[in-house]
Amino acid sequence: MPLLMLLIIALAAVGIYLLVYLSVQAQLQAVRTGAIPSQPGGAQAMSQTLRELRPDRVQGFGVQIVSGLGSVMIIVFAASHVGTEFGWGTFRTLLAHGAGRGAFLAAKALSLALYAAVFVFLGVVAAILGSYIVTAIAGEAATGPDIGAITDAGRRLYYTLLPYMALATLIAVWSRSAGAGIAAGLVVYFTEGLVAQLLVSFNRDYANVVNYGLSRNVGALIRGAAGATTIPDPSAVGLPDQGRAAVILGAYTVVFLSLAYWRLRSRDVTVGG
Amino acid sequence: MLAAVAVQPHEVVLRTKGLVKRFGSITAVDGLDLEVRRGEVVGLLGPNGAGKSTTIGMVLGLITPTAGTAEVLGRDVRVRREDALTGVGAMLEVTSFYPYLSGRDNLTAIAILRGGGALARVDPLLTRLGLAQRGGSKFRTYSLGMRQRLGIASTLLADPALVILDEPANGLDPAGQREIRELIKELAAENRGVLLASHLLYEVEQVCDRVLVIKTGKLIASGTIAEVTRGGASYFEIVVGDKARAAQILRGLGVKDIRETPTGLDVVADPERGAELNRALASSGLYASAIIPRASSLEDVFMELTEPESPSASPTS
Repeated sequence: MPLLMLLIIALAAVGIYLLVYLSVQAQLQAVRTGAIPSQPGGAQAMSQTLRELRPDRVQGFGVQIVSGLGSVMIIVFAASHVGTEFGWGTFRTLLAHGAGRGAFLAAKALSLALYAAVFVFLGVVAAILGSYIVTAIAGEAATGPDIGAITDAGRRLYYTLLPYMALATLIAVWSRSAGAGIAAGLVVYFTEGLVAQLLVSFNRDYANVVNYGLSRNVGALIRGAAGATTIPDPSAVGLPDQGRAAVILGAYTVVFLSLAYWRLRSRDVTVGG
Repeated sequence: MLAAVAVQPHEVVLRTKGLVKRFGSITAVDGLDLEVRRGEVVGLLGPNGAGKSTTIGMVLGLITPTAGTAEVLGRDVRVRREDALTGVGAMLEVTSFYPYLSGRDNLTAIAILRGGGALARVDPLLTRLGLAQRGGSKFRTYSLGMRQRLGIASTLLADPALVILDEPANGLDPAGQREIRELIKELAAENRGVLLASHLLYEVEQVCDRVLVIKTGKLIASGTIAEVTRGGASYFEIVVGDKARAAQILRGLGVKDIRETPTGLDVVADPERGAELNRALASSGLYASAIIPRASSLEDVFMELTEPESPSASPTS
């Protein structure tokens, strides 16, 4: 499963680049040939989107792709990585052989953190590859990627995955189930993001509240790495500043892992876990 | 072969004092005191739900006692759990390993966790438990018997002073069960203490030096096999129609321990009194179909102690 997920992120990153390029290109062609009516500024916006697909903009578009996919996949992987120990009964076996509950959780968190690092690295490399592929298809001269900016964006991306990893771990520990961890983790992820977006779109003042959630702070860090993106994003209105976002995400990670530890430590381990 | 543990013989390796576990309103274990010494095999017996696995769970620190203490090698499991468990090898009732790893890799993973010389014991233990040829196969492909063997192998990785085996012969064929009995005897001969929870009373009778019988969490009998079976007390199985009258006649002969059975009576009496009992019944016009001399086995005592009383198997009054 870990290798399969790495393969999926690599293929998905390249695939999304191709998909976006082909669909924007098709729309541009349709506008140019008059097959669809031209909206004011529409062709210009589409050209901007195409520019975002170039290698020198991977820290923006590419990292956002990996962030979206990565959050989902890290939830799935973390819940599975922790929850299966209860399903297989191996958690109980390990404890019976002298492993400590804290050491168990620390080992799980460490291995997940290492996995997330590999995941981010591979995802970003795949995004760079995708950007080169679409540039080649477009027949344009590729400008090289900005390695410094990409490294910075990768670091931020990695950091934003940690609270989701910790959340999925907490749910898997609490429910002693991989399936419940995945399901509840994804529900929280999508619902929280959607609710935050809707509230801000209704009234910008709600940003003061939803900016304490996960998705807005993740957005602040990821968009901060992209620099001056050319793609307009109405959901980015009123995002918290990056320093505060980093603190809030760090706090969530610590709180989720602490709760997982408390639950693991206080619970009797009967059959399974 | 594992190295024998070179320490004081008969040292207490496991001691519980007043161990209690309540799950809500249910008391699973109620004030259990037990001791296991080096070189002895102690059987933990009880019907399903008696509290055997809960007791083992508390000894291993998997379950927090409501009251009381469990000490392994003098270390309180609640206070110094990891430290205490360095001297324990435990096989739980449900043997669980990573299904995608081979048997050898599973043992290796536990050996790394255990540290010390555990890694060097992986292959010798696979050989000792008859898994050398299938050591490279994935755990998920193992039969129930092979899983049990791997579980037992895992208990010995740490060269433990105390071995806890919860139903080790589950799923093993008769030859496998005999091997396990021999292995348990070897473990005791290596000066390890063994706590054996088992439903196989024949197995317990064969290998245990002492037994503890628990019922609804309480210790109801303990001692050597001979003590618990009252030295294999003799009794007669009398097949007779009118049980009540037969019991009355036999009580007139001074026989006190009489139990009603589906076919007649079980009567505790010296073996030489068979003819006397037969004569007394016959002279009263009661003719027994059979009077069979028997000796109490652990199974008899276990059933007597732990089975809920029913009309067909209750003491006559």
